[in-house]
Amino acid sequence: MKNGQGTIKITINGALHELMIGRDIEPSETLSYLLREKLGLTGVKIACDQGACGACTVLLDGKAVLSCMILAMAADGREVVTVEGLGDNDPVIQAFAEQSEPGYGTAMQCGFCTPGFVMATKSLLNENPSPDLDEIKLGLSGNLCRCGCYPAVARAVERVVNQGVE
Amino acid sequence: MSRQFEPRKPRQFVGSYRPKIEGYQKASGSSEFLDDIASGLRFPGMLHAKVLRSPFPHAIIKNLDTSAAEKMPGVHVVLRYDDPEIEALKPTTNSWTSFNTAAYDTMYYPNYRDRKVLGAKAHYSGDQVGAVVAAETEEIAYDALKSMKVQWEELAFELDPKEAMKKGAPVIHPEIDPKSNILPCEELCGPDVFRVRGDLDNAFANADEIVEVQSDYHFADQGCLDTRGCLLNWHKDELTCWTNLYQADQTRMYIAQMLDMKLHKVRVICPYIGGSFGRSNTGDQSYYIFTAIAAQRAKRPVKYKHTRQEDFHDTRNAIEWTLKMSATKDGSITGCYFNGIGDAGAYSEHTIAALKFMTGFEMDECLLHHIPNMKMEGYGVYTNKIPSGCKRGIGNNQLNMALFIAVELMAEKLGMDPIDLAIKNFSHEWEPPPNKSVTAVLREGAQRIGWEKRLPTNQGPLIDGRCKKGFGFSLHDGWHTAWQEEPRGMVQLGLRLNPDLSVILDAPMAETGCGSNSCAVWACADHLGFLGITPEDIKWVEKADTETGLKDMVQTDSSVSYLHAELMPEAAAKLKIKILAMAAKKFEQSIENMDIENGRVFVRSDPDKNMSIKELLWNETLVPIPVMVEKLTPLDKTGVPYEATFAEVDVDIELGRIHVKKIVQLNDCGTVMYATGAEAQLIGGQAMALGEALTEEIVYDKTTGIPLNFNWVDYLIPTMLDMPDIEPVAMEVWEGAGEYGACGIGESVTTCTARAIANAVYNATGARVDATPFKPEKVLAALDAVDRAGCAQKEEVGN
Repeated sequence: MKNGQGTIKITINGALHELMIGRDIEPSETLSYLLREKLGLTGVKIACDQGACGACTVLLDGKAVLSCMILAMAADGREVVTVEGLGDNDPVIQAFAEQSEPGYGTAMQCGFCTPGFVMATKSLLNENPSPDLDEIKLGLSGNLCRCGCYPAVARAVERVVNQGVE
Repeated sequence: MSRQFEPRKPRQFVGSYRPKIEGYQKASGSSEFLDDIASGLRFPGMLHAKVLRSPFPHAIIKNLDTSAAEKMPGVHVVLRYDDPEIEALKPTTNSWTSFNTAAYDTMYYPNYRDRKVLGAKAHYSGDQVGAVVAAETEEIAYDALKSMKVQWEELAFELDPKEAMKKGAPVIHPEIDPKSNILPCEELCGPDVFRVRGDLDNAFANADEIVEVQSDYHFADQGCLDTRGCLLNWHKDELTCWTNLYQADQTRMYIAQMLDMKLHKVRVICPYIGGSFGRSNTGDQSYYIFTAIAAQRAKRPVKYKHTRQEDFHDTRNAIEWTLKMSATKDGSITGCYFNGIGDAGAYSEHTIAALKFMTGFEMDECLLHHIPNMKMEGYGVYTNKIPSGCKRGIGNNQLNMALFIAVELMAEKLGMDPIDLAIKNFSHEWEPPPNKSVTAVLREGAQRIGWEKRLPTNQGPLIDGRCKKGFGFSLHDGWHTAWQEEPRGMVQLGLRLNPDLSVILDAPMAETGCGSNSCAVWACADHLGFLGITPEDIKWVEKADTETGLKDMVQTDSSVSYLHAELMPEAAAKLKIKILAMAAKKFEQSIENMDIENGRVFVRSDPDKNMSIKELLWNETLVPIPVMVEKLTPLDKTGVPYEATFAEVDVDIELGRIHVKKIVQLNDCGTVMYATGAEAQLIGGQAMALGEALTEEIVYDKTTGIPLNFNWVDYLIPTMLDMPDIEPVAMEVWEGAGEYGACGIGESVTTCTARAIANAVYNATGARVDATPFKPEKVLAALDAVDRAGCAQKEEVGN
C-alpha cells in the first residue's frame, strides 16, 4: 500500500493496469468502484454494497473476494479476474446459461446475481475441483439469489464437475 | 426426483424444456441493467442525486439551512421543499395503477393522494423530505446533505395499527382525514363492510362446529438485487428517463402528468431489471420528478439510485385477519366472517387493494363463492412505518394464512381430512365444488408429499429425542385469471421479417426475470413454423422504449408469458398473407392458389412450381416485412386454476427450530408456456416464501420508531444452504380462453408456503404459529401454550 501517491499495478483480466494515485485512482475507492465505474467492467454487480450478497464477487489471485469490501489499493501487485475475463466458452458460464433439465428450473431468472455466482464457482472449483452437493451448497452460500434459483445453480455446478470427470 | 412435465398439447417450442434466450448474456455479465447504462462512462458529466431522509418517524422541518451545501465544490443543484417549483407540484401517490396505464385523474385511489414529491413532513424514519442535492459524486452529495442544518419538530408517532385506530392517536395524514388514521373508503374497493351475503348470524347459530382464528402476516421486503433508480437527461425540452421500474408506458404517463409535459416529449427506456417481485409496482415514483427537475437545473444527466438501506422503501402489506368459520357435520362450510386490519405504514399505496380487493373481488369469487353466508370487513390504517407498497402476491399470502388454519382446525373438529374439506367446499363462481383443478392439485400434492404418513395432531413419535414430524398443506386460487387480464387493456405486438428469414420480435416488456421474453420467442417460433425457422432466428427487442417500441406489458404474475403469445397466431397469419401476395405476383397466380410449407411457397394446383421464401424475398426490395397486431385479451369467463403447497417439517421442540424437509409446489398453469421457466418460478417462489415464513422480519426500535435492520446482514434472506428439497409440479388442468388459455404463476407460487409450513408445525406438535415469521421464540411460546393446555386438561380430568 502506498501513502496516497505513486502508482499501483493491478493485472485485470490479463492486462496490466498502472494506476496513478490521485489521478486514476483514489485511496478510498473500493475495487468494485474501480472495476465498474472507471474500467467499465459492469459484469461486477453491486446489490448490497456491504458484503452480504456476493453479486460483486471477483477473483483475486484465484480466490473469490467481495470487491465491494476491499479497497482497490489492496489489489496492488495482484491479479484480478472478473466475469469479463473468462473465456467465451468458459464451462461455468456455459453450464449456467444452458441449465434446463427437468426438475431444477433455470439457473437464473433476473440474472443480476449470476456473474457473482459464476465467479464464486470458479473459486470453489479452483480450491476443490470435484465438490459434492453439500460442498457446493456451502461454497456458494455467501451468494444471494432472490429469484431463488439455488437448485439449478447447484445442478449447473455439478454438471461442470461431471464434465471434468468425463 | 421430480417427474418431467408432459404437455397436454405437444408443441415444438412452447411448453418445452430449454435454456432461457438470454441465459448466456446474463451468465457472462453482458446483460445491461440500469446501473451499467447510468454511468459516468456512458454519460459524461453525469451527476448523482441524493435526498435528505428523516431520522425521525414523525416530524416536521421547521427550518432548513442549505447554505453550506450550496457553496460546496462539486454540488451543482440544491432543491428545497419550499422552492416555488417544488411547492407547485401536485400531491400524488406511488400507486397510480397496478398494470394498466393510468393518468392523474384516472389513478386507482384519488382519495389517497398523501404524498408530496418533496415536502417538509416526514411520516416514517427514512422518509424523503426537505432537500435534494445533485453533485459530481455520491460522496459529495451525501456530504452536502450532512452539511444542512435542519430544525426538526418531532411529533408523537405510532407504530401499532390497532393503537393508531384509537381516538387520541397522533393523526398521521390530517390532509386525508383530520380526525382519524383509518383510510377513508373509496370507489374501487367499497365500504368498510365490503362483502355481505346470506344470513351469517343464522349460519353461526345453526352450525355444528365453529372455528375462530387470528393470523398476522408481517411486512417483508421485496429485496430485489437491483435497487431502484433512474437516470434523467434533458435535450432542450425533451426528457429521457432510463429506469428499472417495470412499466415504461406508465412511467412516461406519470412523468408527463406530474411535470405538465406532452407525452411525446417524454421518453422512457427500461433495460433488463434485476428482479421486481411487485416492488414499487408500476412506475409512479416521486424520485423521478425531483431527479428530472435537478437535471433540468443542472443541464446535465442526473442519476438517482437507492442504496441498499434506501431500497427498504415499500413492503408487503402487513395484515391481521380475524376469521370465524362455521360448518355442519357433513363437512359443508356454511359461513365465514373476515375482519382485517391492514397496516398501511406511512403512505396508503396498495393497502386497500391488498385488504379488500384481494378478499372481496378475488378470493370470494375464486375460492369461497359457494359458501352461502359471508361477511367481510377491513380497515387500512396509517402508522409511522415503512409504507406498504406491493409485493409478489399482494394480499393473497395474508389471507391464506388465516383461511387454511381455519380449514385445518375445522377438519379436525369434524373428523375429516382437511384435503377432503377443501375439495368439498372450494371453487370459483362458475363451477360448483368439487372443482377439477382443486381436486387435481390437492390429490397430486398429497401423493407426492406422502400424505398417508401424516398422523393425527401431535401424535407422532419423537425423532432423535427432540424433533417431531408433521405434514401440512394450503390451497389458493391462481389469480389475475378470473378477469382474463381484462383491466390491462390493449396488448400490442410487432414482427419484422428480414429478407434472410430472421425475425425482429417487438414483444415489449421490461424483463425482470419471469422468462416472458423466452415465452414470446417460443410462441413466435411455433407460429412462424411455416417459414422453417427456429428460436435462434428470432431477436427479441430487449429494451422497452416508449419512443421506438409499442406499449410494454407490465410483468405482474408472469402473465406476460402468454399475453404476447396470444397475439402470435394473428401476427403469423398477417405475415403469411403478405408473403403469399408477393409469391402470387411472382408466379402470376391468385393468392388463393398459393401456399407455404417448410419455408417454401408453391402453387397449390401445380406444386412443382415452388420457390424458397428466402429466394423470393431476396429478389424483391430487401425491405423487411412488418406486421403489427393489437388485441384486447379475451374476456370469456373460463373459471380459475388453483395452486397448492405441501410441506413436510421436523420441529425441534427443544430449540423451537422448524426444519423444512420438503416442499411440493403445484400450480395448475392452464398451459405451461415454458417448462424450465415455470419450474424456476415454482422453485424460486419457495425461496422467497421460506424467507417470509421463517427468517425475514423488519424490526423497529419501539421507543424511537427507528427501523433496525434495513440491510442484508440483519435482514435474513435465505441462501442455498437454507433450501429444503423442493419438488416443482407444473400442471395443465384448467383451460383458459384464447390460443393457450394459460395463466401467470409467478405470484401465486409464494401464497401458500407459510401456511403449509405452519400447518405442518401444528400437525407435528399441536402448536399454533399464526404470525410470520415463525422464529424459534414464537415456536417455543406456542409449544409452551400446548403444554399448559395439556396440564390444565389433565388437572380438570383429575378434579
